[in-house]
Amino acid sequence: MITLQNVTKTYKNSTVALRDANVEIAKGEFVFLVGASGSGKSTFIRLLNKEETPEKGHIYVAGKDIGQLSSWKVPFLRRNIGCVFQDFKLLPTKTVFENVAFALEVIGRPRSVVQTQVPAILDLVGLGHKAANFPDELSGGEQQRVSVARAFVNRPLILLADEPTGNLDPATSVGIMRLLDRINKTGTTVVMATHDRGIVDTMRRRVIELDRGSIVRDQARGVYE
Amino acid sequence: MPIKVDYVVRETTSNLGRNISITLASVLTVAVSLALVGASLMLRTGVQNATQRWQGGIEFVVYMNVGANQDQIDAMARELGDSPEVKSFKYFDQQASYEEFKRLFSDSPEMIDSVRAEDLPPSYRVEPVNKDADSVESLASTFEQRPGVKQVVLASQTIRLIQNLSRALTLGIFVVAAILLGAAGLLILNTIRMAMFARRREIEVMKLVGATNWFIRVPFMLEGLVQGLIGALLAIGALALFQPFFEGWLPNPQEIPLVSGFTVSTASLLGIYVLLGVVGALVGTIGAGVAVTRFLDV
Repeated sequence: MITLQNVTKTYKNSTVALRDANVEIAKGEFVFLVGASGSGKSTFIRLLNKEETPEKGHIYVAGKDIGQLSSWKVPFLRRNIGCVFQDFKLLPTKTVFENVAFALEVIGRPRSVVQTQVPAILDLVGLGHKAANFPDELSGGEQQRVSVARAFVNRPLILLADEPTGNLDPATSVGIMRLLDRINKTGTTVVMATHDRGIVDTMRRRVIELDRGSIVRDQARGVYE
Repeated sequence: MPIKVDYVVRETTSNLGRNISITLASVLTVAVSLALVGASLMLRTGVQNATQRWQGGIEFVVYMNVGANQDQIDAMARELGDSPEVKSFKYFDQQASYEEFKRLFSDSPEMIDSVRAEDLPPSYRVEPVNKDADSVESLASTFEQRPGVKQVVLASQTIRLIQNLSRALTLGIFVVAAILLGAAGLLILNTIRMAMFARRREIEVMKLVGATNWFIRVPFMLEGLVQGLIGALLAIGALALFQPFFEGWLPNPQEIPLVSGFTVSTASLLGIYVLLGVVGALVGTIGAGVAVTRFLDV
């Protein structure tokens, strides 16, 4: 599903964010990216949906070399990739329903699809009863559920999560992780960057550890360190 | 992918409403500059119509009698052709004069109805080699006494003055209008930039979930187009209101010899209006297009 071949990414200030990375992630895998701040986790994620382009090497997503992708095709790549962030990135002027519907509307899905898919996904994340609320009326955990719902409403092949529990307390984090696990069980590949030792140690999934841009560990059913 | 019309309309109108003050500023700037362009075009067309006979260096016109026979007409052509002092001349027969008459008075059909081609004299329009006033006058007077000639009419200083004045005025107004249009384009660019800033979160999310670049761009492009078009419509409205006064302010043609009315026909007015609309739309779209490609980063 995702392949990185000798991928190197250097930023303009000559910081090496990723050095000669080789990774193979199969369909349906759940992968944790761990490492200190600045170790290259976010760059790894941003490379996968072509927010950044690698300096060297090839990246294959769903069988396509995304380095060869012309810019007008990038949106179509991103329709196969859902994204969840630490800061949720919800639109404060839209209700929960509208926030999720927005993701479908802007890729041209017909209204009938929006009307059936959005309630279904809100029920899945357990927020069916809050559809008419605005984001600032929800708790952090609920907001993150909305954000997961938005990322998953289009049934992407891949879900990328960049520290999705970074702003949440441990109990709430567990709820989000259950949700991501459930999404993973539907066959969606999940790549999650995290600092949360407890989560990584409990879930016991594949762990890729980065240190100053280099992959120093790639362990099946791994732990935080 | 089809872009939904209702989505685009909703986004565009809400963007226009969000920055109402700066939107108004750009609309009004477009309107003022286009009104200036339109007014100077009207002036130019009016002067051109009024001095139609006196363009291209024509300094005097030899009018033949309405009843002049073909021999007399041919003799005059030979004489003009042989004269070393005549640079060029053009013959207007009765039908050609009538066509010109119809064009000049296209706004007053009762005038056209009352005149037939046979009522109009055939004429020669002459461009002399030497355009100095004295030599033109003496050259013109030599044709005065030829058989079949009714009258020789000289372009007066007044006509030259009007033509030069209108040329300078048109150019001046155009320069000012061009600068204003540039300012309008920049204002629109900034309006769009502010609209994009106000919606940066939405744009970020749209990019993340895979909205196409054009889907993100179109509402902003339309916003610029609408601003340009509204400005153009205001300019056209102002000109339409102002047009009767415009014709009234200009000197009465009866007071200036040899000049027909300072009229602007409905057809050329429509042409001017269409031009203003197109320019307004262009300024808006270009301003928005630059903003979208420079600042949207999609």
